[in-house]
Amino acid sequence: MSKKKYAIVLDDSKCIDCKACTMACKMENHVPTGLYNYRIWVAEKPIRGQFPNVKRSFQPSQCQQCENPPCVHVCPTRASYQTEDGVVLVDHDKCILCKYCMTACPYDARYVNEEIKAIDKCTFCYHRLPEGRQPACVETCPPKVRVFGDLNDPNSEVSKLLVEHETFNLKPEKGTKPKLYYIR
Amino acid sequence: MSLSKAKLSRRKFLTLSGAALATATAASSLSSLKAVASSGTQSESTNSKGRKFVYSSCAICVNKCGLVAEVNNGVIRKLNPNPNFFKSRAMLCARGNAGAKVPYDPDRLKKPLIRVGERGEGKFKEVSWEEAYNYIAENVLKVIKKYENRSAIGFASTEGFQEEFFIHLANIVGSTNTVRHPTLCLASNIQGYSSVYGTFPDADILNADFVVMAGSNRAEAIITPDTIDMAKNHKKQTLVCIDPRATKTSAIADKWYPIKPGTDLALVLTMINIIISENLYDKEFVEKYTHGFPELAEHVKQYTAEWAEKECEIPASEIYWLAREFAKNAPQSVWYPGRRSSFYVNDVYYRRACAILNAIVGAFDRKGGLVPKRGIKLKKHDFEFPLYDFTKKRIDSGTLPFLNEKLPEEFKTSAGLPTDSCAYISEKDGSWVIYRDAALAGNPYPLKGLFVYKQNPVESVPNRKKTLEFLKQMDFICTIDVTMSDTAFYSDVILPESTYLERWDPAESLGGIVPIVVTRQPVIDPLFDTKSMHQITVDLAKKFYDMPEFWEDSTEDDREYLKKYIKAMDVPMEHLIEESLSGYPGAFKMLMEKGVFYLNDKPVYGKLLEDGARLKTRTGKIELYNVKYAERGLDPLPVYRKPSQGKPGQFRFVVGRHGQFTHASTQNNIYLLEAYGDYENALWINSKVALERGLRAGDKVKVISKAGEQIVKVMPTEFIRPDIVFYVHGFGRLSKGLSLVYNKGASEAAILYDYAETISGNACLHETFVDVQKV
Ligand code: SF4
Ligand code: SF4
Ligand code: SF4
Ligand code: SF4
Repeated sequence: MSKKKYAIVLDDSKCIDCKACTMACKMENHVPTGLYNYRIWVAEKPIRGQFPNVKRSFQPSQCQQCENPPCVHVCPTRASYQTEDGVVLVDHDKCILCKYCMTACPYDARYVNEEIKAIDKCTFCYHRLPEGRQPACVETCPPKVRVFGDLNDPNSEVSKLLVEHETFNLKPEKGTKPKLYYIR
Repeated sequence: MSLSKAKLSRRKFLTLSGAALATATAASSLSSLKAVASSGTQSESTNSKGRKFVYSSCAICVNKCGLVAEVNNGVIRKLNPNPNFFKSRAMLCARGNAGAKVPYDPDRLKKPLIRVGERGEGKFKEVSWEEAYNYIAENVLKVIKKYENRSAIGFASTEGFQEEFFIHLANIVGSTNTVRHPTLCLASNIQGYSSVYGTFPDADILNADFVVMAGSNRAEAIITPDTIDMAKNHKKQTLVCIDPRATKTSAIADKWYPIKPGTDLALVLTMINIIISENLYDKEFVEKYTHGFPELAEHVKQYTAEWAEKECEIPASEIYWLAREFAKNAPQSVWYPGRRSSFYVNDVYYRRACAILNAIVGAFDRKGGLVPKRGIKLKKHDFEFPLYDFTKKRIDSGTLPFLNEKLPEEFKTSAGLPTDSCAYISEKDGSWVIYRDAALAGNPYPLKGLFVYKQNPVESVPNRKKTLEFLKQMDFICTIDVTMSDTAFYSDVILPESTYLERWDPAESLGGIVPIVVTRQPVIDPLFDTKSMHQITVDLAKKFYDMPEFWEDSTEDDREYLKKYIKAMDVPMEHLIEESLSGYPGAFKMLMEKGVFYLNDKPVYGKLLEDGARLKTRTGKIELYNVKYAERGLDPLPVYRKPSQGKPGQFRFVVGRHGQFTHASTQNNIYLLEAYGDYENALWINSKVALERGLRAGDKVKVISKAGEQIVKVMPTEFIRPDIVFYVHGFGRLSKGLSLVYNKGASEAAILYDYAETISGNACLHETFVDVQKV
């Protein structure tokens, strides 16, 4: 079995900031309530111009599932780790809440889950994948801003999208090699 | 006191009749819903072990999106979108997802309650269903006897699959005074479009090339499939957003025009003028299918782009562009009909103009244009409800001397706007603001009892002070809901309903360009001592049946009718669903196995354009010029009237939606509240204006209108015109049973003024002017 390399390609020009993704994630992954507790977020891009010449746009995001993840590198207990198929996960039992990983992550992708007393973040809904199911955010997104799949499979939709479109990563200068791709 | 039966015709209502089914009833009646838990823990029924997936549909807003519930040992783990459910394009919005927590909401009503303290004090005692029913029956009888009028008991409800049973209850009690949500939403839309097409069409957003959203905020006011198609198509379709606020819809729009509020009609009439005078209209279509084109062409000559520029504050060049592009892309052009249309006193005429615009370019009943809804006919039988002597005609119909007061000063003498009776009030829906005024005036008669189902008039009807007075003068109020709404809080008896995830709902046909049938089945057993509206109606019907005094103004026959009704309805919902679908072999199975039933998943166009087809208008044609309106003294062609203006320094208060909230019903859901991003609402005010007034983000201001005042924090923004202010609906609540939003932020109903659009009876939500003062 060939190794997989999971990624999400987003066309955020379609995003209407409905937060269905945030909510689906909260429900699927038992993310506790609290204004700052989320694995996935939708930000409004900086506003340029003044009334009436303003344009709104949104950018949904989450853990970038970096190929070169600083969060994993700094974790003293190896609670943060990377799976064979490149997904960065946290072993909640091993986490000692030192928060080194939070400081190391350039994307602010992690939060403290007080209920389980551990750091938590997006897992690409790793538990859903063996059942052939999509991450909850991808499944529920109304205009299907997000597409999930295997970059090592040239026939997957994500691979095709990357061929067809010009895309970019967030903060490429950090050298983390994110696996979230945004269509330009 | 008129006891004359002859004056009334027997009111017939369509309902499911199960006469043949009643005997086939199995033992598993849902009437024996029991409390299985008292504190939000899962039920322990035997079939709840293990993991299962159950098809049902969302009930948090009007869309009824298909869902598949993942249930673990009787506890909902997650609600997932149903991939078969093409109407919602296989999605669930934030609210639909957060629905997984609805049954476990600590603020839920768990047992029937009877008030013990003063009304509005919030003191209740828990009672058994039997006690609650007895209390209700006694009080209903008291009101009927005291006023010798069954219509003295009002019934207020909003849309939902169980609403039909609530309407049955109104019929059993014998009241004509049902009041529903349309006059707080889309009554003028339905009236306006129907006066042109004989029907209220949908927009084929999926196939449209040019879409204008004016005052419709589909990104935040989600309507499936429109919202999704619009967002998905935005790169290949031209989307023009016309709104005094830059809503989230403007994010996907190609252009945004911050139009001067209340002037949309000027813009549309001008576009019609440009399209006609530049010969851009569809001559063949107009010739063949419309009535009154020459009159229209003559009438709109006065509305030039240069004139409209001043009215609407949109450059004339842009208006020309808009008109030409609209015509060029036709018939794949849509002036989006929207939904909530309760904005201005002139709304019906504005909606008429929008329909006319689409008609002259031939974009009706054609791919990519406006397309009449189709439905799937379910089996329904006539059911005759008792006819009582003490029933009177609607309180809000006929001549009402106070109606003139429902119009802003500038419009009181306007020809074309009725001033003493509402021109086209819907018999079942009524008009909320007129209904309430009639009750307060006791004119034409007192309204002294009230049943409320699923609706929360205290926060949903403008002018909260008046609603509270309206409730105060009631002898008796019964509310049926899942949480302690503000209206429940002011009630005498409260019946807790099972949530949409704990009950069966009847099968319903959802009309649309592609119609489908949906239903609900319980995902979990009821957590508390709650019942469905269906069961409540049957139980109360039995109570009334057994009360000899209840029948004093009727005949033995009438009582027999009720017996038949009870027999037909006191069956498990599955039977009613199966019966209603019995015309379609395999339908019930498909509904259970796929969560949706449909005959075809492809749209059909042009049915109303076929030779020999007649529209439901007087002429059978598309009425650019409305014949009936002319006869009634209304404007047969839409006439522009300048919107009313506030005093210098005042702002117009506009209303609007947010993607996390369904009206006033989801603010108390902690997940949605947090997704909204704050625990209270804030006043949108133009940044420059805020600066001039020394207002900074977070400052508190008092917003004062003719109806009341509220204190709210300020949010200066570039996304709003300088002459208006806005805050989101559903905060600053009065019910202490809504722990998260009680007294937090500002209520909209408290400051909105309650003018009425007197053709359809719509409330006018944008006719409020406010002063904003720093506190
Ligand atoms: S669900 Fe999709 S459209 Fe909605 S906020 Fe998330 S990414 Fe944007
Ligand atoms: S985004 Fe942050 S948390 Fe996620 S893999 Fe990269 S560094 Fe780690
Ligand atoms: S907080 Fe937990 S996951 Fe993060 S670095 Fe420390 S131990 Fe590792
Ligand atoms: S749009 Fe959202 S709230 Fe409305 S029915 Fe669909 S999922 Fe439920």
